[in-house]
This record gives sequence, structure tokens and C-alpha cells, in this order.
Amino acid sequence: MTVTVDLAAEHIARRIASTIDPVFTMIDGWRDVLEAELAGPVAGALSGSPEPRAASLDPVVAALVSVELERSASLVNGAGFVAAPGFLADAPWHLAWWLSGSNTFGVGPDAASTLRRLEAVSDPDADQFRDYTTLEWWRVPARTGTRHLTGPYVDYLCTDDYTVTITTPVRVDGEMVGLVGTDMYVARLEQVLLPVIRESGHPCTLVNASGRIVASTDARRATGALLRLEGLADALTPLREEADAATVTDAAALPGGATLVPCGDTSLALVLEAAPVE
Amino acid sequence: MPQATGRADATRAVVFSPLDGAGRAELVEQRLTDAIVAGVLRDGERLPSESELARSLGVAVVTAREALVALRDKGLVLTRRGRDGGSFVTHDRDTSMRMIDERLRAVSRIELRDLSLHYSAIAGMAAEVAADRASDDDLASLVEIDARADLATPGGARRAVGRFQLEIAAVSQSPRLVHEELRLQAEAGPLLWLGLREEDSRDRSHRARLDVIQAIRDVQPEHARRATTEHIASAVEWLIDEKVRLETARHPTEGGRP
Repeated sequence: MTVTVDLAAEHIARRIASTIDPVFTMIDGWRDVLEAELAGPVAGALSGSPEPRAASLDPVVAALVSVELERSASLVNGAGFVAAPGFLADAPWHLAWWLSGSNTFGVGPDAASTLRRLEAVSDPDADQFRDYTTLEWWRVPARTGTRHLTGPYVDYLCTDDYTVTITTPVRVDGEMVGLVGTDMYVARLEQVLLPVIRESGHPCTLVNASGRIVASTDARRATGALLRLEGLADALTPLREEADAATVTDAAALPGGATLVPCGDTSLALVLEAAPVE
Repeated sequence: MPQATGRADATRAVVFSPLDGAGRAELVEQRLTDAIVAGVLRDGERLPSESELARSLGVAVVTAREALVALRDKGLVLTRRGRDGGSFVTHDRDTSMRMIDERLRAVSRIELRDLSLHYSAIAGMAAEVAADRASDDDLASLVEIDARADLATPGGARRAVGRFQLEIAAVSQSPRLVHEELRLQAEAGPLLWLGLREEDSRDRSHRARLDVIQAIRDVQPEHARRATTEHIASAVEWLIDEKVRLETARHPTEGGRP
């Protein structure tokens, strides 16, 4: 099947990918530092601990993520490392996750807006304990072995807002020992992406791999709603199923006349509908 | 990091979320009382320290202390000194029943019906939007919450309702509805779902949940809303009946039910 896609649409899809790619690159960089720290010739160089311990690893993670979280123009409002259960000698369940000053969840109104650590419950006997390995941001990368974009979703126990989370596995000797990742507010993403998708001149909607709307030029297409177009779910299947969304680059024509254009390896896709009749 | 601190028991997490308004010591006391009485905070469980409580609830340390003293006086909390000291929940079944009965006596029918309307507005709308916006994964997690519900005990049934309603709000993709759902659960949950101490109510509540899940599966927003609001209405009707029973028991000479 040949699909004629507006060159402008391809260009916009690439620009969306290039807005998010630096976040991917940054997370991959954190992963590389942690993998080198946890095994190999320079293992323990930063933490000073030959065996992986939360107490010595946390300052390393904090140092990695704090620069980005304190940068005012950052897309990211939370970031860190989450350990596989049992990996760290001194903490069977462990989240080393930090929130930027723009995030005031759980702080009193008078709290200073600075970098804060997420207070997570890591005692499995506690009532509030949650097995994070059942959650999408853990489950999917653990299954596919690769990066995953979760959301948009309401993250009511961490950022308390409408969020996208990106996570990627950290490995030692081929085993996933945890993951690194970031949270981003959808409102912030929309602010950055909307001017880009407006340039197409078509009614244009950015969706995730489940067809959930991230941003749209069409006021009737609400962020968070599922875009219900004939054939869309099927056309999105490769973005959901492929272990590496980077392999899906071809645009697809939907039965109703709309066109689906994957945005690089982000697992997001643009849906261009027919231009409105003037 | 999403949900890691315990989406599973957010009904419990809200107990320690910030409070606003006047009479804060009473509000702290009321919220902790409700949580203990409802079994959200369990017998023998250690409460956060005065300073931790003050921080998480957004009140002064002296306010938190005042509330703890009141809870101690009510016999809901025990304070032990020493290295392993602190305030511990003492969940006495009889005390709990008496407390919640008193709360129900004190609240007027008008307030109960108003609460019913307010909560229906929030939860009904959340269900309506959720039916349109639920992905297959969302539906699976709702089914999972229902499957894990412990319907053998009032506390288990109430936690199941709390989790389910919260998940519905999350599926609606609205941070405001989620926020309002959590606030209402903290403020009114223990009273509203008091009926779950009866097995009949627990069965009804379970059936309502299955009905909502089916409506979401079928993408029937109207049906999801109706099933949700009718569930709330029946919980409030139970409360009003119960209130009549309590009032009749206390003042038998002033005339009871017809």
C-alpha cells in the first residue's frame, strides 16, 4: 500500500520526535553511568561501594538527575532510579526518585520550592506498600527489555497531575536490575508540542500507542480522550507491540481518509484528518 | 514515580493528606477517628509521630498533639514511651461501633442527602467519562481491583469501594476528579460506606461494581453513571434508615418508626 503523506506531516512528526529525543538520550546516559557503576572495571567508582547498596547509590542517582530537575526550561518534573526487588543489599524494594521544585505534591503551602525526594513506602509489610513491578512503567520495559512511554495518566500518588512517564531498563550481566526514568507534565508537553503540530494546516492530533490524545489542534479532541477513528486501533498495533518502536516508521492510511504518521521512536503518532472545507 | 507509594491503598494515603479550614485539631481528630473506626488504620498500627503528622497534614505540631491527646482520651490510641514508643491504634470493636453511631446521630438527614448529591456529582461524572476513555489496560485494572476485593469484612469491602472509585476517577483522566474523589473519601468515606458492615450491603456494592465494569466495557457512559449514582443513593438510604433505628433506640418514648 502506498501512502502519500504530506512532506510537512513527516517533517512535523520528526520535530515531535526531536523534542522528546533529548529526554530519551538523557535517560540512556543515566542508564550508562549506572550500568558502569554497578558492574565492570569501574564498578563502585562513584558510590565507593563494591556491592550495590541503596545508601551509597542514592547520592549517585541524585547527582545524575538533579541538574536536569533544577533546569528551568526542562520538560521533566521527576526522575530517578527504581531497583529490581532484591537487587540492593540494604533495601529489597527501593525507589530513588526526585521531584523538581515545580512539583508541590504532598508539601504544605509554605514549603520552599526546591528539589525533593519522593517519599516512597518500601516496607512490603506496610499497608501502603505497592508492588511497583505490577505497574505499566515497570511491567512493559521488563517484558520488552526496552524503553517505554506510559501515559498520559493521572499520577495521583507522585506528581498529583496529568503525567507521561518514560522508563528504560538498567542491566547487569544481561539481567534487569532496575530502571531509570522521568516524569513529564502533559500540560508542559502540550505547551511545547502544540505550536509544532499546528503548522500542518490540517486538523492534527497527537496520540499515544493506545490512541489516547496527548495534544490536538482540534478543540473537540480533548487531551486524555481516546481518539475513536475507524482502523486507528489496528494501525497503532505495531507501535504497541514492537519491542522497538523505532522499526515502525511508515505512515498508514485509515479507512476514513485520515493518515497516521509515527513520530520516530517515541511510540507517539500523528493523526492528520482531511483539511476542513473552507 | 507513579503510584509507587501505594495506589493499592490510597484510601489510607488520604488520611495523611493536607487539611484546610478552621478547627484543625478537630478535623485531624475526626479524620483519624474515621480511619480507625473504619479499619483503614489497623489495630496495633503505629501512627506517624507528632511532627510527621503535622508535616503531612499541613498543621502545626501543637495541633497534631492536641488531636492525638483527644484520640487517647477516646481510647482509640495508646501512647507508649521508650525506644520503640509512639502512638498505636487500639481498635476496639465496641468503641468503634459507638463512635460511628454517634457520628451518624450527629449528622442531619439534610447533610446526608447533600453529601449524596455532591458525591454522586463527582463519582457519577467520573464513571461517565471513564466509560468513554477506558483503554483495555484500564478495564483490566478495574476487573483486578474487583477480583482482589475482600468482601468478608467491612474494612475489606470499604477499601475495595475506595480503590475502585479512585481508579474510576483516574481512568476518567481528570486530576480534578481524582483530587475531589480523594477529598470526599477522606471527609465522608467512613460514614458513607457504613452500611458495608452488613453482608447484604457488601453484596449489593459488589454487584454495583460489576455493573459499572460492564458499562465501561460496553462503552455505555450513561449506564456507568446511573449504576454509580444509584449505588451511592442506596448507601445513603441505608444510613438514613440506620439513623432512624438509632434515634428510636435512644428515645423510645418519642415515637419510633410507623
